[in-house]
Amino acid sequence: MTKEQRLKKRHNAEKRFRFYGLASIFFALLFVLILVHNIFSKGSSAFMKTAINVEVFYDKDLLELEPGASEEEILEADFFDITIESLLKVYPAKNMDEEDALIELFTTDAEIEIKKAFLNNKNLIGKKINLEITASDDIDQLHKGNYPRDLPEDRRRISNFQLEIYDVLVENKTITKNFNNYFFKNGDSRDPEIAGIGGALVGSFYSILICLLLAFPVAVLASIYLEEFAPKNKITDFIEININNLAAVPSIVYGLLALQILLATIQLPRSTPLVAGITLALMTLPRIIIPCRASLKAVPPSIREGALAVGASKFQSVFHHVVPLALPGTLSGTIIGLAQALGETAPLILIGMVAFVVDIPSTPIDPSSSLPVQVYLWSESAERGFVEKTSATIMMLLSFLIVMNFLAVYLRQKFEKRWN
Amino acid sequence: MNNVKIKSKNLNVYYGEKQALFDVNLDLNEKEVTALIGPSGCGKSTFIRCINRMNDVIDICKVSGNIEIDGVEINDKNLDVVSLRERVGMVFQKPNPFPKSIYDNISYGPKIHGKGETKSELDEIVENSLKKAALWEEVKDRLDEPGTGLSGGQQQRLCIARAISVNPEVILMDEPCSALDPIATAKIEELIDELKKTYTIVIVTHSMAQAVRVSQKTGFFHLGKLIEVGKTEKIFKNPDNKMTQDYITGRFG
Repeated sequence: MTKEQRLKKRHNAEKRFRFYGLASIFFALLFVLILVHNIFSKGSSAFMKTAINVEVFYDKDLLELEPGASEEEILEADFFDITIESLLKVYPAKNMDEEDALIELFTTDAEIEIKKAFLNNKNLIGKKINLEITASDDIDQLHKGNYPRDLPEDRRRISNFQLEIYDVLVENKTITKNFNNYFFKNGDSRDPEIAGIGGALVGSFYSILICLLLAFPVAVLASIYLEEFAPKNKITDFIEININNLAAVPSIVYGLLALQILLATIQLPRSTPLVAGITLALMTLPRIIIPCRASLKAVPPSIREGALAVGASKFQSVFHHVVPLALPGTLSGTIIGLAQALGETAPLILIGMVAFVVDIPSTPIDPSSSLPVQVYLWSESAERGFVEKTSATIMMLLSFLIVMNFLAVYLRQKFEKRWN
Repeated sequence: MNNVKIKSKNLNVYYGEKQALFDVNLDLNEKEVTALIGPSGCGKSTFIRCINRMNDVIDICKVSGNIEIDGVEINDKNLDVVSLRERVGMVFQKPNPFPKSIYDNISYGPKIHGKGETKSELDEIVENSLKKAALWEEVKDRLDEPGTGLSGGQQQRLCIARAISVNPEVILMDEPCSALDPIATAKIEELIDELKKTYTIVIVTHSMAQAVRVSQKTGFFHLGKLIEVGKTEKIFKNPDNKMTQDYITGRFG
């Protein structure tokens, strides 16, 4: 082979390698785009809800309330009759079946919405007011264009009569799309139109908070001890290997462990953020220790020697010099560990967080759901409304993860000190 | 001739299986500069790291034999290394200022030893230390800037100032100029000349010219053994040992 041939071969190899690299990046980006597009196109509509404008008459005879009634009296009062009265005024129904079909256009929570509007303004007694009553899941999906209305009637959940009403409502512009505050405020529900991630958000927040409070101090102290103080011998080698092994243990194993120890033996309350937090802390611990030790190791030994040489004790050299320098790396490792914990599903299913919980937990020992488990729960549901809610929940989860990872990178770049 | 400040007797050092120093007997005089020369890996640095017990940091390092400072044995398990290192300062091969402000670099030592209780006392210590290290004029207006932002030579003088700040008796210097340019080196050498009035100085160096310029006494190490020690003039003009002769004339090293 001549010199020119060898040179050409070398250049070609470089070109090939560059092409492979670009192709890999292209494919990676393509898959990310497909994923994001899929989630957004399915989920973005969940942030809007369909409502129907209804004229509500707060008839004091039907309500059996006097002007100036106390809060308790209102809470006890029966709003069912005025709800039915108001909803039936939307469209003329000829018989009982048609009346039922008409009422089915609205959410099952219509009565609660009418009651809430009254609680906000108690002077409404004896007066008429226009309210935006949330539409049922089927009408919501129909209005968002997700419902195939050209199917034969016997294969549709919406009857021809209901479609007729819907078309009239659209023509009169009494049907509107509003921001879906229920999605953020409400807990889970069997009815997609009023189901929300409020409970899952609070549950995830408590779980991650408990995970942080347990895992962070233990992981940091363990790392500092192992990296700076522990003698280098077979025992510490063994511990090191096992920390690395623990970081690779499938999360479901931690779920089983928690089920056996926390629920069966210690009898902690099932389905609670407390148990979830402890389980996630166990799982996150090695995942924080590893980056934490790495950032301690990255502090140059000359800094330790410099401190020791002016007469600092071992403890002082570590806590005055090494730990502050390792802190940015430690914090970003912790945040990334927590981000992983936030997206963890399997162990939470095992400790019973998969239960159907309607109430929003007020303490970490109330039964609760969490964001990833909510995704799992809704993805199993048959109603069309849950498809968009699943994707919207994934969007929320992903945005939290992105914010956390961004914070980790920011902390590292902002506070990392450079030394020569 | 000054009094003997540091005395090593039958000093042996092992790194695991490997023996790094063999029966070193060396006396270092007070308020004098002693230079230690020899080829790489001959044990010069290992020797000075015994004087402030820096070798304790290395797990596999074992030291046997005696080192006395002012007649007191320091190679003793019960000795408090913190107070030893307060008396014996050290400057390293590569400048290693803390990634903190210039002021904090100097005030750290006095603070942890409880010297300079008030802010004004600390200010005074910082100023004096920087003046002694011939750095004050260059940095007095930017004491709150990071020490790592200084030039290499300034960083090394900052490290010398840091060593001085706790008012030690002995300063150990492990090739303090090997990472510096000739101008910065000249400044440090001038500084060493000045410092020897107050401190006992031990300097490890690869530059024989530097040893001649700064030291009064020179020890030549080879393969972990102290081959010859004596007045610098004598070692470089008329050494007793053939090996010393070969090394200083550049026949090996």
